[in-house]
Amino acid sequence: MRDAGAARVIPLVAAGAVAVATALILAVAADAPSGAREHRTREEARAAAALYELPGVAEADVVALLDGRARIVAPEAGGRGPGAHAYRAGALEPAAWIAVEPRGEGRRWPWAASLLALLGVLCMAAWAGARRLSPPPPRFPAAPALFCAAVFALVAVAAQQWARAELEAISATRLAGGLRAAGIAGSAGADPEAAARVAGLPWASGAALGEADRIWTMPREAGEAIAAAPRLRTVPRYTVAAGGATYHGGSIALGSGPPVRAEDPADNLHLVFLGYEETASPAVALIAAALGSALLVWLVLFLLPLAARPRALSRTLAAWGFLAPAAALLVVFTFGPLLFSLWISLHDWRLVDPAHPFAGLENYRALLSDGAWWSAVRNTAVFTLHVPLAMAVALSLALLTRESRRAVRWARLALFLPSITSVVAIAVVWKLLLNDDYGLANRALDAFGLGPVAWLSSPDIALVSLMLIGVWMVVGYQMVVFQAGLAAIPRVWYDAATVDGAGRWQRFRHVTLPGLRHTLFFVLVTSVIGSFQVFGLVYVMTEGGPLGATDVAVYHIYREAWEFLRFGNAAAMSWVLFGVVFAATWLHFRFLERRRAHA
Amino acid sequence: MPDARNAARGAVGFSRTLLLAFACLVMAAPFLWMAATSLMGQLEVFGSGRLFPESPLWSNYPEALTAQPFGRYFLNSLIFATVVVAGQVFTATTAGYAFARCDFPGRDTLFMVFLATMMVPAVIVLIPRFLMVDALGWIDSYRGLVSTELVSVWGIFLMRQYFRTLPRELEDAARVDGAGHWRIFRSVALPLAKPAVATLALFAFIDAWKNFMWPLLVTRSMEMRVVEVGIAAFHSTYEINWPYQMVAGVVAALPIALLFLFTQRYFVRGIQLEGIR
Repeated sequence: MRDAGAARVIPLVAAGAVAVATALILAVAADAPSGAREHRTREEARAAAALYELPGVAEADVVALLDGRARIVAPEAGGRGPGAHAYRAGALEPAAWIAVEPRGEGRRWPWAASLLALLGVLCMAAWAGARRLSPPPPRFPAAPALFCAAVFALVAVAAQQWARAELEAISATRLAGGLRAAGIAGSAGADPEAAARVAGLPWASGAALGEADRIWTMPREAGEAIAAAPRLRTVPRYTVAAGGATYHGGSIALGSGPPVRAEDPADNLHLVFLGYEETASPAVALIAAALGSALLVWLVLFLLPLAARPRALSRTLAAWGFLAPAAALLVVFTFGPLLFSLWISLHDWRLVDPAHPFAGLENYRALLSDGAWWSAVRNTAVFTLHVPLAMAVALSLALLTRESRRAVRWARLALFLPSITSVVAIAVVWKLLLNDDYGLANRALDAFGLGPVAWLSSPDIALVSLMLIGVWMVVGYQMVVFQAGLAAIPRVWYDAATVDGAGRWQRFRHVTLPGLRHTLFFVLVTSVIGSFQVFGLVYVMTEGGPLGATDVAVYHIYREAWEFLRFGNAAAMSWVLFGVVFAATWLHFRFLERRRAHA
Repeated sequence: MPDARNAARGAVGFSRTLLLAFACLVMAAPFLWMAATSLMGQLEVFGSGRLFPESPLWSNYPEALTAQPFGRYFLNSLIFATVVVAGQVFTATTAGYAFARCDFPGRDTLFMVFLATMMVPAVIVLIPRFLMVDALGWIDSYRGLVSTELVSVWGIFLMRQYFRTLPRELEDAARVDGAGHWRIFRSVALPLAKPAVATLALFAFIDAWKNFMWPLLVTRSMEMRVVEVGIAAFHSTYEINWPYQMVAGVVAALPIALLFLFTQRYFVRGIQLEGIR
């Protein structure tokens, strides 16, 4: 009887647990933007304080810029207030503080969609629980399928609505910010960059815009295109292609005021801000929603059969308790980012712009004809050729140290050190060591009467130099692995080979190599994967030069993302790299399997 | 006859040792040169053509190390590596135990999914991780530095393999005594797995210490830099001053070299465990 009672309670407990967990996750997720909001308010307060330092900016300007959220606080208040962030500005007398309140909440998590999904899950759990309670089999086997479809449709529609609203919000914020910045910069003669920053347009910073005049015309080409066709200003919806990007406009804020700098022409076109018509394809939102709800439904369906068997359920729950920390971290920081990266690669995603228009496969298509990227891939492939060489050296070292244990011990430190010490330190040392004039390498060559070699300054040799360093770095590690592999080969095989009259070479060829097969493949695969990801060496030693000769894939991606701030392109590149690595690994394993089949 | 054979073996052994010594010299040469150059004057490096300093210039060390806040860099690296080790040991032992000892539907599939992530190049998750950390406002903080590095699939694999080699009898005995899952894990399985935990902790520490790209991306201020990033920055600031750079190199390499010297055993075992799957 006790068991029957447990069977009755457990579905309900499970449903409750799922509900609570989902609610908790949603609550945490919805709360996450508050951190970002606080961060942003702090930035605004700092920028407002900076603006006060500028000549000609009045208190009213700053307050207006921040929509009245800025206040001047008395010195004794010390800038403390509920939810506000404060900075002391030197220009204020007497040393008062500027307090900035956080922006409004903005849009938050799609509560409606989440609640619907949650409700769906609860209904399913209840339905399943009820089914368990009544012995006869269900009369409507199609019910779960219908339920899944309904949940999916609801979530999808809600997600699409949410994406649309989000887009409108971005466009509106952007336009409003642009108008405010144009206003303050025009009337007060303030630094336009500071004005833009205060107006909540972090992407309008000098680093992103490059030359000084582009601070004023954002972006210049777009402004010129609009100026050339004044009709556009009145048309509610249009598209402007400029500077290699397409802007979908909702409306325009166009300010033309007096020049701030003396060297600026008087008729300078000022700030141009465009809203967006579309940032993401609704299809993508649909697919994402479908995946999300399918996962949820699958989870419930997976748990339900277990609910009837309390011991199995308790075992599963215990196992998941143990798995939870690792699984949660992996989901948040590995699986989630993988999907997110795919999402980014399908968008025109620039760090300096809050809206990310959907680009489809455009980023990938652009890669096909990107010579610099393919040259980086080629360089990476060439660099990887150091792996077989390193393996040959490592294997001979392992054979060399096979007999004597003592030699291994003292040799290990010297051989192994390069593979564990700091890559940056190694790169610095080698950079100096390979210096054309004073490096150890050229001095040593000089002692033998050989001419100096332009190790790192010649485009033909630089990559080879890096490959040599690559060999130097991995040999010790590979040697230790080979030693383990050699130790695992049974001695009897050698004795048998000797009895059969095999010589040294034949023993190596027919006993050692086949015995080491697995180890060789393991080392090959891991080393190739590792060498595809070389970054530190290139970053410190050559910065991809000379003339792009050592520009490897990861370094290329790094620059694309963090120097040129084109995250969409960089994400597409990293997926191409993943494809290449995956193909290489797969080929290795296929090859390995065939060899095993023949053996 | 035995004499001749012994002599031949001796000659082979000797040439072998000689070859090995030569290899070691070649491998160690950059380090030796680094140490020697770190004690030279600037003019001595460029002018004299010497390999070793005429008289060691020890003052290079305090001068170079105070030119930038290296103490802070070391502290940051230490904090970073310690937290990462603690996190990875916790996640890897718990998850490894679940995969080795718990019985639940979908276990092997899930394990394969975990393992598959080892094939994913780190660069692919770098961009989204950066955007996430940025959105959370964690850029330039310990939270941002550490949070993504707390789980290691390799560690989970290692711990699973190790737990599987442990005899089940002890756990069964504990279960008969009425111990729960967590208690069995905590007081029976974990103490037995100490060697594997030591190996895992060592590798996690070294990997965290050597990690360059992620700290480079998420730290902005000088106060948050780890040693690797600090040295890269120091390198570009003092490009001309070779002795200073070599000092930085020595200081970066030394802790790891010492650690390796005292823990060789665990190292080699870890690598060999990895090699023979």
